[in-house]
Amino acid sequence: MHSLIRPNAWVGLKLPSGSTKVIQIIPDTTISLGKYGAFPANLVLGRPYHLTFEVLDKTLEETFSRLRIVPASELHAEAIAEEDEAEGNATPATGSANDAVLTATEGEEFSLVDEKGNVVARSGREVIDDSAIQTLTQEEIEELKREGNNAGKDVIAKLMLSHTALDQKTTFSLAKYKLLKTKKYIRRFQVVPIDVAGFAQWQLEEKDASKIMDMRAEMFGLVGCWGNVHYGGEDSMINDPHSRSDQCEKTCVPVQPDELKGRWLVVDDTCGMLVAAMAERMGVLYPKEGDDEEAATAEQQEVKTEASTQNGSAQQNGDVEMADAVPETTVPERPKTMATNKKQKVRPKGSDFAIPFSQTNTLTVIHSTSQPNLSLLNYWNFDITAPNHPPHPLLNHLLNLTWLQLLKPELDTSYSTPPPTASAEELASWKPSRRGNFHRKRRRFARTRYIVDSTRAGNFSGLVCASSMDPISILKHTLPLLAGGAPVAIYSPSIEPLAALADCFSVPRRTAWTSGNVPETVDKSLEELERWEGNEQFPLNPTLLQGVSIQTSRARRWQVLPMRTHPLMTERGGADGYVFTAWRAKPAEGRVEARGKFKKIQPSKKAGKTEEAGTPAETPTPAAVEDDDAAMAAKRKRADTVPALDTEGASAPENAATDDVASPTKKRKVDGGAEV
Amino acid sequence: MDDTMAPATCSQALKISPFLEPGKATKVGSLAILQLSRDNLQPVYLQAPAGKHDGYAEGAVVNTRYGSFPHSTMIGVPWGSQIRASKVDTGSRGRNNKRKRNKSDDDRNEGSATVTEEKTEQESTTAEVNDDSSAATKKVVADVSGFIHILPPTPEVWTSSLPHRTQVVYTPDYSYVLHRIRARPGSVLIEAGAGSGSFTHASVRAVYNGYPTEGERKGKVYSFEFHEQRFHKMNKELKEHNLDSLVHLTHRDVYNGGFLINGKSPEAEAIFLDLPAPWEALHHLSRRNPKNPEDKDWVSPLNPKKSAHICTFSPCIEQVTKTVSAMRRLGWVDIDMVEIANRKYHTSRERVGLNLSMDRGVNNSARDVDEALSRLTDIETRFREHAAKSKESDDEMDGDEDDGLIKRCEKKEQKGRKKKVKTDHKPASAGSVETPASGVPLWMEGRLITRGEPEIKTHTSYLVFATLPREWTDEDEATAAARHPVTGEQKVIGVVDKAARKQERREQLQKATGNRKARRMERAAELAVTAEEGAPGVVP
Repeated sequence: MHSLIRPNAWVGLKLPSGSTKVIQIIPDTTISLGKYGAFPANLVLGRPYHLTFEVLDKTLEETFSRLRIVPASELHAEAIAEEDEAEGNATPATGSANDAVLTATEGEEFSLVDEKGNVVARSGREVIDDSAIQTLTQEEIEELKREGNNAGKDVIAKLMLSHTALDQKTTFSLAKYKLLKTKKYIRRFQVVPIDVAGFAQWQLEEKDASKIMDMRAEMFGLVGCWGNVHYGGEDSMINDPHSRSDQCEKTCVPVQPDELKGRWLVVDDTCGMLVAAMAERMGVLYPKEGDDEEAATAEQQEVKTEASTQNGSAQQNGDVEMADAVPETTVPERPKTMATNKKQKVRPKGSDFAIPFSQTNTLTVIHSTSQPNLSLLNYWNFDITAPNHPPHPLLNHLLNLTWLQLLKPELDTSYSTPPPTASAEELASWKPSRRGNFHRKRRRFARTRYIVDSTRAGNFSGLVCASSMDPISILKHTLPLLAGGAPVAIYSPSIEPLAALADCFSVPRRTAWTSGNVPETVDKSLEELERWEGNEQFPLNPTLLQGVSIQTSRARRWQVLPMRTHPLMTERGGADGYVFTAWRAKPAEGRVEARGKFKKIQPSKKAGKTEEAGTPAETPTPAAVEDDDAAMAAKRKRADTVPALDTEGASAPENAATDDVASPTKKRKVDGGAEV
Repeated sequence: MDDTMAPATCSQALKISPFLEPGKATKVGSLAILQLSRDNLQPVYLQAPAGKHDGYAEGAVVNTRYGSFPHSTMIGVPWGSQIRASKVDTGSRGRNNKRKRNKSDDDRNEGSATVTEEKTEQESTTAEVNDDSSAATKKVVADVSGFIHILPPTPEVWTSSLPHRTQVVYTPDYSYVLHRIRARPGSVLIEAGAGSGSFTHASVRAVYNGYPTEGERKGKVYSFEFHEQRFHKMNKELKEHNLDSLVHLTHRDVYNGGFLINGKSPEAEAIFLDLPAPWEALHHLSRRNPKNPEDKDWVSPLNPKKSAHICTFSPCIEQVTKTVSAMRRLGWVDIDMVEIANRKYHTSRERVGLNLSMDRGVNNSARDVDEALSRLTDIETRFREHAAKSKESDDEMDGDEDDGLIKRCEKKEQKGRKKKVKTDHKPASAGSVETPASGVPLWMEGRLITRGEPEIKTHTSYLVFATLPREWTDEDEATAAARHPVTGEQKVIGVVDKAARKQERREQLQKATGNRKARRMERAAELAVTAEEGAPGVVP
């Protein structure tokens, strides 16, 4: 995915100060890092990620700064030197490491490192002023920075040496002082790719944590794993029905529920960060790469042609886009990529009713506004609002619909309005704009219909959720859509909503439910109970989830340096973040008993586990049980249960309601028996 | 009937591992996880009911503390199904005598074994079944002893149910590690110290992007295990889970043997080392021979085109120090060490109050000051009544006895309350819903609280992360420089100075406020220019 820095790629530039700057590397521009210098973007294009560059001083012949790749040995030189010293290593460390220790250029009067590689600063220079601790004035420092060469190392070295109290400093404070100065003056940066882990970290720590609901890396890991989000199988596209323009919705391809596999439901209020994380886990976030070098060359050529046309045609280009459809809603910084990539390839367009989505390995986003807010996906060059999008894997794997479309599709205009039809002659007589509109409407209809119908067909492989909405209300409508055994993973910055949700599945609630104590449930079938719309006492059907659990994780970072290893003193606080996990269960029909194997055990001993009382109406075995057998079994069971009831009721409080349930169940059983 | 070999043959018929695509319903031969209670999970390979098995007339049976579950009741049901216990005769199977049972024919496939039940190894000697193909399997009858849920296998449930061979890398750790080392579909991952296989299963899921066909590069895990028995067990497990073409397991000491496969590089981008001394294996994971960079024959196990991300997993700080030191010397950058603290929370209803039922978990003390006050007043009044009564009967009362009387009153009051609660509760339980006198149902009574688990894992291991950039030679730099030559850059991106920013803003504003106006002005300016140019020509 991330091998070489491609033109127009979004990257992170890690600066010595510890902050990261996220920018798009546009060819033929100058990248400015403020006080750390400026350099032409082309000097990092085509270079690998994770390298550290140093901004060199301008030479006399050139108008720009060149870059130097800083080898890792130089980055770690001090730590290595310290280690060697600590070990009493008389022999100097590897040659390269020793050279690289922060030291001034030769011939200068100061030196920070002796021949043995010790970092303790010594100088023959006389102390100028005892009153001032740092003898260099601000003007002098500025002067040094201006004429400064050697990427700021001179400044640091001079600062160190003109620090009068340097010899009074302990090794630790010395190291700290130097680190401080290095952060401020050294002109280095590292280029890191924008991937989910790195970007989320940046968004959390430097940009706006609330935008991604304070979701830390640990949480992305947990939610992804507990949601079992993974590659959901090879793409299987739906055949184009080749419908003509005068054919109505009957020619739309019906949803084939058996073909739908590896689909995850998402409710995302993190501006698309969660979707990006899931897409990464499913392998649909980054474009497929061919051979690296080839791709790079191809892109290079394309960039060149673009560069020549770009200046003149940018404005026009924008106009063409507008004509096609909805005006682009605010895409603050990034219309450029869209425009430049646009010319790449024209997708072969199918008929209006062709469905562009894969039936496998998809994400279905349910959103509460008419357009989903997935703005952060722009950093991966995907814009859900763009009408004619350049190829992107998310195009075929990201489906989105509103809650209205999911729950009351008949009220949604784009779902319920039948598509317009027109004969070919009629169509030919129209103006192009009207024709475009006609096709757009038909395409939108087919897509909406497919998304809504396939989502309502259910059988999703999992539900992942990071939303500010009440999770109970989300689960009420999404639980019926999940396949049996499908995981549910819900993130929340605070524990309260998740606790309230977990309480809906508490043991007493479940017991009361399964023992038939809820009058509303008595005559309902399993399917009806799956779509239980909830009441005050039972907001959700408590038997639909198993293994309900809430957890949190926090990573504690450590500083690892020779003789100075300890956890970091401060870290980001804010929301702790919690994850609710469970699996979708398929409850057995009728009542289920769980009285344990209590033949030899005292009743009080078995009180520890979930008790649910009642008699089953029928066995859920695939092997069909004959009517009379079932009845016999049931009868026998009832006979078994009744005498046990009193002791049960007294000992186990959850079972207290056992006997009173007998009547409703009996009724249901009779019904069941009649059906069989 | 050799049951132990069966799962391998069965799983070959299934194409995709149940970990990656479990399908809609349980199948014969597939791995399933039985959830007995929230944290009690048990893996089972489902066997077809093929006559008697191990003395059970119902075929293979799983016995739990919640009852017996014949496999036949768990096959062909949707995942997540609740399964009732069945009435199974567990007592007589060791004995040789025949039992008269109601039998019916059932279709069957080849059997498979269960890994979970600690079954007695003895062969079923009850030679009731003569013909294997028409063997009779006892029809099952539901029992009241309990139920379980049957879950599809995922790395998470597998991790909490797998047979332990070593310390297990649990979900909080591996989820974070896989996120940080960028294990994604299509990645190639090296794992050393396969151990019990929890990380292996999680990493396969992360890198899986389809089963590889000939010559195709797909996401793959190269796993190394030093311990021979663990290696064999793991190998068997991978076959049973149909992951053997996605995981290449090698029995090797990686400190000396390195990470190459038959002398070839696996071309890995992600590495996870769960070894006692990761620093001794690190030198194999370089771009060039660290001892002799000029060595042309040395093959790196890393992908030459990508940055490699590593994580080492060590419990002790001394191991970390050594690992980090070795990483620094081998050119790894972005070295970062973290430890993960995970906590699980239970939610419950905290029921405090004097008028609540005497159930388990109820704190029968005053809910608030008001309740305490009313109770004290109650006692006080009673005491006074009592005192007045006894004064009438007996005038010789001591102060000492006063206290005793109060205590007695208190006790009496308590007893009375208990009785009252009981009588309050009884009709409730016999009534329609488990509603105590208060009208609030039991499951909504009290305050909803969360509390941590009684025992927390305070330390699992230290995780050291680092990145090794791809090698970049002078030639590479030259080609890149030729491909992206520095031309006359005009635009500045990133941090721009104040003047440039102001200029940009001005332009933007102009564009925004009066597009038409600006264009008209532009046109006017153009006209003026042409007029100026044209003018001299016209005049003569």
